[in-house]
Amino acid sequence: MPRGARTDSRADTAIAIACVAVSLLLLILPNGARDRTAAVIRGTVVAPLAAMQERAALARRAFVDYDSLVRVADSTIRRSQQLDAVAAENARLRSLLGLGRSLSWGFVPAEALAGRGMGDDRTLVLSAGSRAGVERFSAVVTADGLVGLVDQVDATTSVAITWPHPEFRVSATSADGTAFGIVAAHQALGVDGWLLELRGVPFRSSLRAGTPIVSSGLGGIYPRGILIGTVIEELRSTAGWARTYLLRPAVRPSDITSVMILNPERNAEGVESVWAAQVESMSKRVVSAGDSLQRRQRDSLAAVAARADSIARAARPDSGARVVRPDSAARRSPTDSARRP
Amino acid sequence: MNSGRSWLTALMFAFLVGLHFTVRPILDWRSGIDFMVVAVLLVAVRVRPGTAALVGFLLGLIADALTPEAFGAGALAMTIVGFGASSLKAAFFAENVALNAVFVFVGKLVHDIVFVVAERRLGGMTLLTQLVWWTPLAALATALVGLLVMTLLRPTLERRRT
Repeated sequence: MPRGARTDSRADTAIAIACVAVSLLLLILPNGARDRTAAVIRGTVVAPLAAMQERAALARRAFVDYDSLVRVADSTIRRSQQLDAVAAENARLRSLLGLGRSLSWGFVPAEALAGRGMGDDRTLVLSAGSRAGVERFSAVVTADGLVGLVDQVDATTSVAITWPHPEFRVSATSADGTAFGIVAAHQALGVDGWLLELRGVPFRSSLRAGTPIVSSGLGGIYPRGILIGTVIEELRSTAGWARTYLLRPAVRPSDITSVMILNPERNAEGVESVWAAQVESMSKRVVSAGDSLQRRQRDSLAAVAARADSIARAARPDSGARVVRPDSAARRSPTDSARRP
Repeated sequence: MNSGRSWLTALMFAFLVGLHFTVRPILDWRSGIDFMVVAVLLVAVRVRPGTAALVGFLLGLIADALTPEAFGAGALAMTIVGFGASSLKAAFFAENVALNAVFVFVGKLVHDIVFVVAERRLGGMTLLTQLVWWTPLAALATALVGLLVMTLLRPTLERRRT
């Protein structure tokens, strides 16, 4: 073996022995010194590699946990959907609480009991009866407006007819008091069956779409001022002496869960102030909608007039438009043009 | 070894070390692929035994830093594997790719034996199970990866050699 190669071999062996010796030394280091040494290496050379390893471990965890995360997400979505219903219920209860504050006295709170069968959607079983002070023919309301009328009263429960019932009637008026009539269920098939009619409105009284209709207080059953619904449109009537309007009810049957049953004393006192703000804002909306409609009509009429004007101006012979007269055309004969340079 | 091949080997070495810290944690096998052993062997057959021992030592130290309980055991095992592979490359590291896989298999086997003995953590039946069952499985997986690396790298290295 040449001397150079032998020297190299010795150097290799020496390096290997040194590495082994250091490794053994590290193995027998006291825990504190060993940890400190490892920490130094981790903090310098190994730091980027450790970061890579951490990312890889996270990626693995994400991969492994994917199925369980999907399950968690699914249940969260389901819960959030339930939360929507809970939030809606909460809002309803808050508004009912607000109604209770507005009414202050003379009412019995009740729950619409679940478990109604098919075909029973025109009546409502309420959780309050005669023991709670409920009397027959008491008005049933919610924060949104009129629900119906108590028809039967038991000791602990009562049965109310709701506004879709064929026998439901209420004397009503427009919020401004210009039109009076009788509100009853609109007897139609399908979706229209869930609307109301305002019948017998004098022909001179015209109501705009969106006009709020409230109870008039006539008849002694319903106090004045309970919101019933809003006008959708006028129905065609064969009788020419009165108008009939289609109304959108203020209370949807599907939303009825908690109600207030008004006492006769409260009927006598009146409840106009309770729905006053609601009715007023509806009336304002109708007025502003009418204004904007008028403005739009005025603008479109002005535009039509302007267009007609400009057409007429263009058609006049003395207008600025270039008209070719016969004599000038004759002057431009071929000989004329040939004479030109 | 010319500079082009050196660069390629260094690049592959770094890539394998990177894989050790990225792919290995993702796979998380009990008998996992040891990319570091493949990296050390890849370098060991191309450098002098002393350099191979040093590379193995440093790489083992890096691995040990993340497992302080066995601090030094990895460095010792890698030093032995690097030095041994570099010293025996003429005898074992043939042109035959399958033999290279055996070379990687033996390298990983030696590494694990030295490591578990040096760290003195396992004993009795656990040590036996580790050495008879898990270590050969890990060596097999590592040998397959080594085979793949050699197969991919060989054409490039040979082309550069000519």
